[in-house]
Amino acid sequence: MAGLQGVVKKAYNLPVTVRTLSSGVPSTPLLNLAARAPAGHDDHHDHGAHGPRADIPPKWIGGVQMSSSSLLSKTMVTPPTIAYRGSRTIHTSTPAKYDTPKVPDFSDYRPQSEHTNRALSYMMIGTMGVLSASVAKSTITEFLGTMAASADVLALAKVEFELASIPEGKNVIIKWRGKPVFIRHRTQDEIKEARAVDWKKLRDPQSDEDRTKKPEWLVMLGVCTHLGCVPIGESGDFGGWFCPCHGSHYDISGRTRKGPAPLNLEVPPHDFNEAEGKLIVG
Amino acid sequence: MPLSTAFYNAIVKRNSIYVTTIFAGAFAFGVGLDVGITRFWDSWNRGKQWKDIRSKYVQQGESEE
Repeated sequence: MAGLQGVVKKAYNLPVTVRTLSSGVPSTPLLNLAARAPAGHDDHHDHGAHGPRADIPPKWIGGVQMSSSSLLSKTMVTPPTIAYRGSRTIHTSTPAKYDTPKVPDFSDYRPQSEHTNRALSYMMIGTMGVLSASVAKSTITEFLGTMAASADVLALAKVEFELASIPEGKNVIIKWRGKPVFIRHRTQDEIKEARAVDWKKLRDPQSDEDRTKKPEWLVMLGVCTHLGCVPIGESGDFGGWFCPCHGSHYDISGRTRKGPAPLNLEVPPHDFNEAEGKLIVG
Repeated sequence: MPLSTAFYNAIVKRNSIYVTTIFAGAFAFGVGLDVGITRFWDSWNRGKQWKDIRSKYVQQGESEE
């Protein structure tokens, strides 16, 4: 409003909804040109000094007068520049004169394109997924590893035996995991005898081929399947083993043939080390 | 087509492919980490491990016991 000197007439922009009189002046019957903020209307708030409003020029400077034909604005003194603070009683579209605060330039921080941003977001999500998946996997693996047998237990779980020390037709009993294990070096006649049996009619039908990995070596647990005694070798009605406790008879393949034993003598997992001529039980 | 668009279209667009890629990546990451750390360990302890000094104690053709 600087430079108002000499200006006596000033047009006010009013909303287009205002009716225009025949003289061309907008009809503003309720327009109170002497509007003031109700001074001291709110005693509980102490901010803002009472008295003349800072955003309205004092009356003695001049002001707007309304006559029947026109709106007249007279200025007696050049008023100081008035900064608009707070509310204005008349809304006009006069542009605000105060400087708008400068908005920093953010263009360096904006993505080059939307696709780059999207790909980066999914990349981060995917990387997070990869990391958490491998963490979960190793957690589960380590936890299951605590349930596995430790190395010293595994070392005791296997027994090696020199096969060359057993002559043909002899039994050897070794200890494996606290249980006796029978190893018999069978003769050709015994193999023939074991395989000639009609095994499908036995109490626990099992063929000799299933029970031995090599026909001349019969390896089985020396625990009677009845109540857990240790059978005696090379005895009984079938030329195999005989349990003295309750009279179970096993044949030359370790299959139960007579007596209370319900199952054949168990065959432990075993393997042959051909190079060193050794039997590994376990 | 920029790399980001190619990545999005190839991997992310179908969730099944995305998840599969994540699991495959986790597997590869685990194996790679294992191999890398083992290699670092061997190079850090070069000359101290049994497999490095075995030739000094076990001659060729001799039994290990």
